[in-house]
Amino acid sequence: MPKITVDGASYEVAEGRTILQALDDQGVLMNGVDIPHYCWHPKLSIDGSCRLCQVEIEGIPKLQIACNTPVRDGMVIHTRNERVEKAREGVMELLLINHPLDCPICDKAGECKLQDYAFEYGVPHARTREPRRAGKKRVDLGPTIVFDQERCILCRRCVRFCREVPGTGELSVFSRGDQSVIETFPGEPLDNDYSMNVADICPVGALTTKDFRFKIRVWFLEDVPGICTGCAKGCNVHLGVANNRVYRYVPRRNDAVNGTWICDEGRLSYARIGADDRIAGHEVRQPDGRALPVSIDVALEEAAERLRGVIDRKGAGAVGILASPHATNEDLFVARRLLEALGSSQAGVAVRTGRSDALLIQPEKAANAEGCRRLGFGPAEALLERARGGAVAALLVLGHDALATQGPELLETLRGLDVVLLADSHRSELERVAQVVFATRVVAEKHGTLTNHAGRVQRVVPAVEPSFDAHAEGEIMWRLGRALGLPGFDGAWDLQAVSKALAETVPAFAGIDLASVPPDGVPRADR
Amino acid sequence: MVISDAVRSAIDAEIAKYPEKRGALLAALHLVQREHGWIAPETAKAIAEIFEIRAIEVMEVVTFYNMFLDRPQGRHQVRVCTNLPCSLRGARELVHTLEQHLGVEAGETTPDGRIHLGHEECLGACAWAPMMRIDDTYYENLDAEQAKKILDSLK
Repeated sequence: MPKITVDGASYEVAEGRTILQALDDQGVLMNGVDIPHYCWHPKLSIDGSCRLCQVEIEGIPKLQIACNTPVRDGMVIHTRNERVEKAREGVMELLLINHPLDCPICDKAGECKLQDYAFEYGVPHARTREPRRAGKKRVDLGPTIVFDQERCILCRRCVRFCREVPGTGELSVFSRGDQSVIETFPGEPLDNDYSMNVADICPVGALTTKDFRFKIRVWFLEDVPGICTGCAKGCNVHLGVANNRVYRYVPRRNDAVNGTWICDEGRLSYARIGADDRIAGHEVRQPDGRALPVSIDVALEEAAERLRGVIDRKGAGAVGILASPHATNEDLFVARRLLEALGSSQAGVAVRTGRSDALLIQPEKAANAEGCRRLGFGPAEALLERARGGAVAALLVLGHDALATQGPELLETLRGLDVVLLADSHRSELERVAQVVFATRVVAEKHGTLTNHAGRVQRVVPAVEPSFDAHAEGEIMWRLGRALGLPGFDGAWDLQAVSKALAETVPAFAGIDLASVPPDGVPRADR
Repeated sequence: MVISDAVRSAIDAEIAKYPEKRGALLAALHLVQREHGWIAPETAKAIAEIFEIRAIEVMEVVTFYNMFLDRPQGRHQVRVCTNLPCSLRGARELVHTLEQHLGVEAGETTPDGRIHLGHEECLGACAWAPMMRIDDTYYENLDAEQAKKILDSLK
């Protein structure tokens, strides 16, 4: 393995990598070794067009671009000396010659590499008097992206992205020299399942998403690490949060899951968190059919009362749980324990499925379908069949995915039961057939872990607080178990303790508790 | 059919000359443009199909080179070289004169569709500066009167 020295520090790197790639492999690029760059991107082919990553290599007379210079054993690289910085200053001056400097109205301001590097390497005055190149400011590239020609520095990241990642190739550089401009083929817009990633990788404010544009200045956003819940892939994201509201998802790099990308559908799914159709409080259905808003304690008492009735009449084995594939592993573990305490085996889960692709999009449209399986929740069909056969008299329904998979027939089945308790985050037809409705937190509002399609266990933390009383499914079921006086359900709700018990008792989660899950998750162990 | 059989077989003959198909793209664009006058989007698509590349890659090449047209222009392409030697010999004034004579600006087409006037980069005829290209013919050692007469003679 070649050994290279960068600013005095030695690294043993893989053969055949370029300097930037090798430093990225080591995890030090822009994280100790700062080599500014625009066109290079760890997940795209090398372009070598921006010239900003020039470094000095001992024994080579001219500066070399770090993105495209392969490492060699014994290479001694300097990234910070006067010569390198002078070169960067020159590149920045050229890149800024035609830049409109419209930062006050630019949505990228605050997370713009042109701003950052101009601040670091730019000269504070322009030496040109010629007018700046004028271009179109709002080119509608497609359903998701707006393009500003003047801000573009032609790094071609977006062009390479479209060709190399979704493979759709909608973008290209048309014309040449100072006339060069990013365009789509006439009449064929930028429209693919991953199109909004081009706004993330655009190092300047040229490409912005229609969804996020002008919603908020990015410096007001706090980036909370989280997981996209759109499908079973479990793409790592940052939730952009301000004013207790999620404004956007952007991909968070995890080479073992999503690399640096997320799909558009997943990216836009943040809107579900603060949607108008959230169940904004607990409800008990009155005999006249109206829903009465109640406190969690009243809802729990009502639910326990009804369950006790069923247990007395038909036995605890007639109480079932239709789990939600959106619930965390910890929530589901509590569900499992509740069933165990009741002595019931009536468990199932409905997972909505849909379109998938070879890149990120998984057929299962829930973040924790695999977690459900690992915790013993089988297909909902079997459970509902038993319910129709009379073996289930009371059902605790988590979420409303079963509505999508079972259709209106589900409502019929539920109407046939003695007791239906619903714990859900968003409004649906299910509320009409439930006697008690608990408002639940969505993933972005709670602590926990999720198991992705490949068995990787990933951690989530609350990014926002619901503005109404809502609880994790796990907590609701814990308190329900306590209200029923079930063994093992004593004491206050303690997520840490639940997590510990999960790690200790379920082999698939052995050693994985909340505290131990690193930011990039725990891969499936061969056990 | 967007590309005629004759042009198609001429393109195939060009492709045969290169180790990679794509090498013949410029030749193909010349052939197609001679037939159509310009490279329309649907023409680019037909060419892309022949070369097994994306249509947008054809457009990259079309827009990169001045001699390919991505929109219909006048019947005659009049291009005055305005690189350094020609400019030293009065090419910019010549363009200005021709603009006034035709009543259009460089980069525009006369309303009757007869002439598209434009600048051109060096055409390698510096010894006979100033010069212009009209379609495939060079006109050299120009002065304003001569050039106007030449334009007037175009049908």
